[in-house]
Amino acid sequence: MNSARSRWRAVLLRHESVLLALLLAEILFFNVAGARFGSLNNAFDIVRHSVEIGLLALVLTPIILTGGIDLSLGSLLGLCAILFGKMWRDGGMPIELAAGCTLGIGALAGALNAALIAGLRLPALIVTLGTYSLFRGLAEAITRGVDTFTNFPPVLLALGQERFAGLPAQGWAFALIAAVVWLLVHRTTSGRAWRAIGFAPEGARYAGLPVTRRIASAYVLAGTVAALAAIIYTARVGQAKADAGTGYELLAITAVVLGGTSIFGGIGTVHGTLLGVAAIAVLNNGLVHARQPREVAGMLTGALLLIALTLSAAARGLGSRRG
Amino acid sequence: MHRFLLIALCAVSFACQKSADRDALGGKKLTVALLPKSKGNAYFISCKKGADTAAKELGVDLIFDGPTDPDPAKQNEIVENWITLGVDVIAAACENKEGISTALRRARSAGIKVVTYDADALPDARDFFVNQATPEGIGQALMDEAAKQIGPEGEFAIITASLTAQNMIEWQRHIEAQRAAKYPGLKMVALRPCDDKKDLAQSEAANLLGAYPNLKLIMAICSPAVPGAAEAVKQAGKAGQVKVIGLGLPNENRAYVKEGVTQTVILWNTLDLGYLTVQAAVATAKGTLTSGATVLTAGRLGEIKVEGDQIVLGKPFAFTRENIDEFDF
Amino acid sequence: MSGQAGLLTRHFREFAVAAVLGILLLVLAAFAPAFFEWQPLLSRMTREAPVLVVACGIAPILIARQIDISVGSIFGVCSVAAGLLATEGWPVVLVAGASISMGAVLGGINGGFVAGLRLPSIVVTLATMVVWREALRWWRQGEFVNLPAGAQWFGHSQVTGQLLLVGTAGAVLVVLAWAAKNLSAGRFVYASGSDAEAARLAGLRPQLVTFWTFVVAGALCGLAAMMNLVQSPQVDPKSGAGLELRAIAAAVVGGVAVSGGRGTMWGVFLGLALLACVNPALTYLHVHAFWEKAIQGVIILLAVAADVRATEARARVRR
Repeated sequence: MNSARSRWRAVLLRHESVLLALLLAEILFFNVAGARFGSLNNAFDIVRHSVEIGLLALVLTPIILTGGIDLSLGSLLGLCAILFGKMWRDGGMPIELAAGCTLGIGALAGALNAALIAGLRLPALIVTLGTYSLFRGLAEAITRGVDTFTNFPPVLLALGQERFAGLPAQGWAFALIAAVVWLLVHRTTSGRAWRAIGFAPEGARYAGLPVTRRIASAYVLAGTVAALAAIIYTARVGQAKADAGTGYELLAITAVVLGGTSIFGGIGTVHGTLLGVAAIAVLNNGLVHARQPREVAGMLTGALLLIALTLSAAARGLGSRRG
Repeated sequence: MHRFLLIALCAVSFACQKSADRDALGGKKLTVALLPKSKGNAYFISCKKGADTAAKELGVDLIFDGPTDPDPAKQNEIVENWITLGVDVIAAACENKEGISTALRRARSAGIKVVTYDADALPDARDFFVNQATPEGIGQALMDEAAKQIGPEGEFAIITASLTAQNMIEWQRHIEAQRAAKYPGLKMVALRPCDDKKDLAQSEAANLLGAYPNLKLIMAICSPAVPGAAEAVKQAGKAGQVKVIGLGLPNENRAYVKEGVTQTVILWNTLDLGYLTVQAAVATAKGTLTSGATVLTAGRLGEIKVEGDQIVLGKPFAFTRENIDEFDF
Repeated sequence: MSGQAGLLTRHFREFAVAAVLGILLLVLAAFAPAFFEWQPLLSRMTREAPVLVVACGIAPILIARQIDISVGSIFGVCSVAAGLLATEGWPVVLVAGASISMGAVLGGINGGFVAGLRLPSIVVTLATMVVWREALRWWRQGEFVNLPAGAQWFGHSQVTGQLLLVGTAGAVLVVLAWAAKNLSAGRFVYASGSDAEAARLAGLRPQLVTFWTFVVAGALCGLAAMMNLVQSPQVDPKSGAGLELRAIAAAVVGGVAVSGGRGTMWGVFLGLALLACVNPALTYLHVHAFWEKAIQGVIILLAVAADVRATEARARVRR
């Protein structure tokens, strides 16, 4: 048991070190390839552009640790964005109240996923495939496809566009959530429970862990943070539309897996996810500075994912958990 | 070990910071950054062809980049990247009017000139708008053409790209305004999106033909939908019975127009649009085009009228069986 | 008597979906009888035929407890490549062969990573989906491929061509349904999906089975691309976008379990029929377009929630 644990630890350390080295290599390369890449402005650009996906990746980590998945987060972002706009514009709420209600709606949506996945024990992939359609569909139906919300008050826009104490405002929000999620996953009993559930769900049940509650909490957390990401997104773009966040869940999953979290559950770290988000964000940004077409970024990200997985598998050697 | 790498990471970041003082683009060449609504869209590719010609003539650098997925924030991110890159002027076709204005305003305050083309931003976010035709002009041209094809009474349906595309929403508004004002006997019975996909447009058109037996015309206002709708009409055996008109590229519709399945394709010369956009962008960057100007000398296009802050290419052009062979884009 | 009850319980999902489909068709018959005019109906079925083929290809992968979300991108690549070969003057039969082979190769790449390197299929196919899609986009830049005149409907008349395509999809369905039950390879897929370890101990090679399901799925994508190509004189490089979700949704609604080991081809057919009717039904019933995604989402959730009884029963048996 001990040697297995130290073997896993060695693998983890190796994965994150490789990722870190890769990140360094990216930064060095792009600094040479593009003159303004290394500037502070660009660093802030990278942060601002990756906060929403980063938030989704952060809360996907506990979910994937439990062996589940959530494909509905991008659609939920879109739904929360337009509901936020609707409550503020048509509901006449003050923006802070609308924001608070949006977080509540995100939590409710997460609870829907939680009820079906943790409560009814339905497969997470299909449930969240259904809610992926449902949330986006509701967003389109509520806005009848055409309605958008704009002219938000400056206090909201500042969250997405201004700097706060020298850093982009949303960066602070991201840092806070990252710290909270890191603590949850690595220092609390919830985190241990998530890992245990991912390793062996029935074993965790027999060990007396409140499995249903823990799994549910992961999805509710994800929904709430997705709502926060929707608010930040609206603040950054200055507009809320039904198709906001399209495709974000796949990018977030890519970041999480790149960061070393096993899609089967049980293994993974939040700092790995953060590195994954950074690696992808730097890659996308750097390729623009290197004057490469956008499609290359997509292809390289896909290739990177495959290479990272292959290297991990090679390090793992034999003994996969599932066929 | 990875603690060491973390320290190395910070050191590298600091080192990179210092070198930011170097001028980003070096040399004296002006850089024009052209933003389409989405990359991989044949309409914008043909605009780019025209833009390339102008860029070569004027001796400027042209960057062309656009979103590859429909997320509304992508255009903003590209513009913000360009601000950091330090381009001289941005020419943007705006998917989300208010959303992108956020980023364009920032570009302007960073000293970058901004013009828009094809689809406008908010007026305070750009210097000039190069319009191929006004949305009123486009909406009216479409509605007038529909009336010309099927007479003052009848049912028609519209196929659009997506329900959220801003400029299509504007065109629909003007189509409806023109219909209500001049052709109250014509009814629009359905509006279906096709996600900018020809195959889906074909399926949607086929369903419309079946669901509305009195349908007389399909108006396809996104370019992949025109050949898609035409194919559906042809396969249903209703060519000539149900007319097809739309906004599309001549090359994609040539065969259908010649066969008489599609009656008219309305567009403008996209090569000229791209050409004019770069001309206007460079003139704005160089300061030869300022507010209050009434005319712009645009290379091979001659003198183009400037009305306020709009530079209008001209009226929408109707491609029919008689003239479609003269065009290649 | 008990045999009959056994059939109903075993295939409860398929019967339930058939029932819902039946109700939908009754509603349409009452409020929009135009839905059943044979010519538009045949056209609609022809347009869905390629999707059925892809869904039949994905079902064995799901039954084997894997997943493939790259089928849409494989479809797109095969479509454009086949279109270009057709414009080069290749005869239609050879083009079809090339399309199927290319699909098989791309499927084999997925299979190699999943079965050979034991990588998780969702991530592998996510990566390959993105790589092929972006590469295709980069290559074509949105430009259509204009096909030569003889390519449409394989050179036959429209009705012949449509019947041919619908027949091909039906044939694929029947062959796979038969293979699932009667070929050892078919039973191996169910075994691997139910319990890979037990299958291995029983002498099967789950990895090999998995590999071949990906190859077959890829080949079927190539076939579907060809079937789609002959339906119109131009190839849109965007065709295939979103196909994987439609195919997986059809399979899942039809009773294929994502946890492996369960599902029938007939269920896939019924699931696809139900989901594919939603869009035209909305048009024929004169309902607004923007309800479509929400309705499909609800159908998927209901289908999965209906599994509750079955899932709990099975869980109890396992303990």
